[in-house]
Amino acid sequence: MFYIHQSSCISHQPTFNDVDLEDLKPSEKNLVSAIEPKYENVPLGQLRRMGRALRMGVGTGMKLLGKHKVDGMLIGTANGGIEDSIMFLNQIHDYEEGRLTPTSFVQSTYNAIAGMMGMITVNHGYNATHVHRGLAFENVALDAAMLLRENPDNTYLIGGVDEISEKNHRLVSLAGWYRNEPVSNADLYKGDATGTLPGEGAAMFIVNNKIEGATARLVDLKMVSSHNENFVQQQLAAFLKKNNVEGKIDLFLQGENGDNRLLKYYTASENLMSADTTIARFKHAFGEFQTVPALALWLSNYALQNQKLPAHFIKRSGSAEFNRILIYNNYQGAQHGFMLVEKV
Amino acid sequence: MSKIVVTGLGIISPIGNSVAENHTALKEGRNGLSQLELFPTRYATLLPFGEIKITNEDFKKQLGVTQSGVTRTTLLALHAFQQAVADSGLSDEQLRSDDTALANGNTIGGMCLSDELYMDANKNEVGSEYISSYNLGSVNMYIQQRYGINGVVNTFNTACSSSANAIAYGARLIRNGFARRAIVGGTDSLAKFTINGFNSLNILSGAPCKPFDAGRSGLNLGEGAAFLVLEREEDAQGKKIYAEVSGWANTNDAYHPSSLSDNGDGPYLAMKEALEVAKLNPEQIGFINAHGTATENNDEKEGIAMKRLFETVPAFASTKSNIGHTLGAAGAIEAVYCILNLLHQEVYQSLRFENAIETTGLTPVTVYQKKELQHVMSNSFGFGGNCSSLIFSKAN
Repeated sequence: MFYIHQSSCISHQPTFNDVDLEDLKPSEKNLVSAIEPKYENVPLGQLRRMGRALRMGVGTGMKLLGKHKVDGMLIGTANGGIEDSIMFLNQIHDYEEGRLTPTSFVQSTYNAIAGMMGMITVNHGYNATHVHRGLAFENVALDAAMLLRENPDNTYLIGGVDEISEKNHRLVSLAGWYRNEPVSNADLYKGDATGTLPGEGAAMFIVNNKIEGATARLVDLKMVSSHNENFVQQQLAAFLKKNNVEGKIDLFLQGENGDNRLLKYYTASENLMSADTTIARFKHAFGEFQTVPALALWLSNYALQNQKLPAHFIKRSGSAEFNRILIYNNYQGAQHGFMLVEKV
Repeated sequence: MSKIVVTGLGIISPIGNSVAENHTALKEGRNGLSQLELFPTRYATLLPFGEIKITNEDFKKQLGVTQSGVTRTTLLALHAFQQAVADSGLSDEQLRSDDTALANGNTIGGMCLSDELYMDANKNEVGSEYISSYNLGSVNMYIQQRYGINGVVNTFNTACSSSANAIAYGARLIRNGFARRAIVGGTDSLAKFTINGFNSLNILSGAPCKPFDAGRSGLNLGEGAAFLVLEREEDAQGKKIYAEVSGWANTNDAYHPSSLSDNGDGPYLAMKEALEVAKLNPEQIGFINAHGTATENNDEKEGIAMKRLFETVPAFASTKSNIGHTLGAAGAIEAVYCILNLLHQEVYQSLRFENAIETTGLTPVTVYQKKELQHVMSNSFGFGGNCSSLIFSKAN
């Protein structure tokens, strides 16, 4: 599909400047919140007015756009600036639809992140925002892969970002997807419980068709929308067969999130791995959110470059050499994404 | 390279619940703008709106919706989706096949239920039935689950150009071999959220809008949905082929979060690149369904961009004078209107135009007329600088 060159990431772990994944940073009050860095590449006047998702997205993207000229940018986000949306909604309510200031309305639009980066860098190229919840980032990657077939010499910025805010945390909690009882992220996979820990963050990549200087290659991806774990397993088996990598996955990076309702999908897909495949998980480190596959792709890139993952990620040890990684994530048991990544 | 053709159409708008009803209304130059009747807002009687006068309860009955948590944005989409699928004659097996893609663009999702969201986000101890329906993905989540669609499913958001990009995405999925057919479109329903949002920007007109008129005073918001079934020409043998989707482009104006640059760079590039994809010269475009929102900024800058690209600006009009600005649905609804232009070889009048904007001197089509058309263009521009153009060509 394409080669991955530079990347940047904001998460609950130190991933933005000096990357350090050795010791797991503990969650606080059942939140796996992102550590926001000092944003050096974003104009201060604009930064001050931005909501959290916009800040994280633009900050992560601008770190790369400061060094690379791109022909377009593609962002995945399920909620955009949802805190700004609800802030504006509350103003509508509190001021009984009186005269309102437009800032939170304009910034809450889902496409504000890509739009803002286009504006700051005066980039007239392709500018897209994919918002299909747990497949928003996979659609970004597919869109980029198509663009690179249509325009083989181009380079694109791709990424995913979502925020936890007080209000959307409340919405997802009411829908029953988060743990009610206090739990630390270090214990996320222990026991038999319903719900997970919310996370947030952003990961961005510079991608093109050039092998020189690349750190990884996205070989293929597949999206599945189904609640049936047998169907998901069949689709994964077909995906492995199509790419001729059955029994050849060194690292299976999967999105288990401590919710016993979703475990069956991961068990079904693990059953397709060979005995020497290393199995690793990432949601204790990043939390659960719709565009976390972007962070999983970032982590796969890290594993390929460092040829190891810290122990807290590992579920089952196997192959010590990482050349080929399969990422599988599912969102609320409805949306499933597979991404096959190889070392360059 | 395979041609991408349109084999099914579905639409609901303030001027009709079907393709045929919309066609008649466009020919007659009917106005679909009125006072708001179906939900309370202080602007209901103060501003004109393109409202579809069917209640959610009636929609649910008509569409066989028995599940909870289905919002108006989804109901409008479902109405258009069902029409398009039936029109194209897609079977249940084809819908479930893993080479059938589904993509829509929308900007409001379940946030049309502004009051319910307010309660869920701030007050409720137990979530309402809409608790998982607020974000934009909810529309296609429902359609995908109801019909068991197994191919690529996506939701696009580039503000007011969302569904133009969903259509382009579908065409590109087919062309690149990631789908054999794609059901693509857009939807948006009127909402307190968007009414107050656009009002805070001072761009809502207190009177029915006047696209491209020197005295224009802003836009009117509307609601609606449209879907198109796209297939490869060789797979559409024996089917009615409405038109070819021949060009598309997505660019960014890179100037301001909510207004276009002085030279209309984004619109100019979108139209130019769409022509390149279609391998056409500017003079081959016979008609443009303009973005034409009737805001001070858009109509002037769009006109400037058209003049930059076209030596002689082709016939153009804005159907937003009939139905208002349907935001995320606009690109898809106007795609259907462009296809009607081609199919019937005619152009529809822009309503309420009186005097040309001084800086451009451009006059839209003001009377219905027959016109020989091979290629028509549709423009959609949105917040965040997102500009898109589509080109549709007459079926052979």
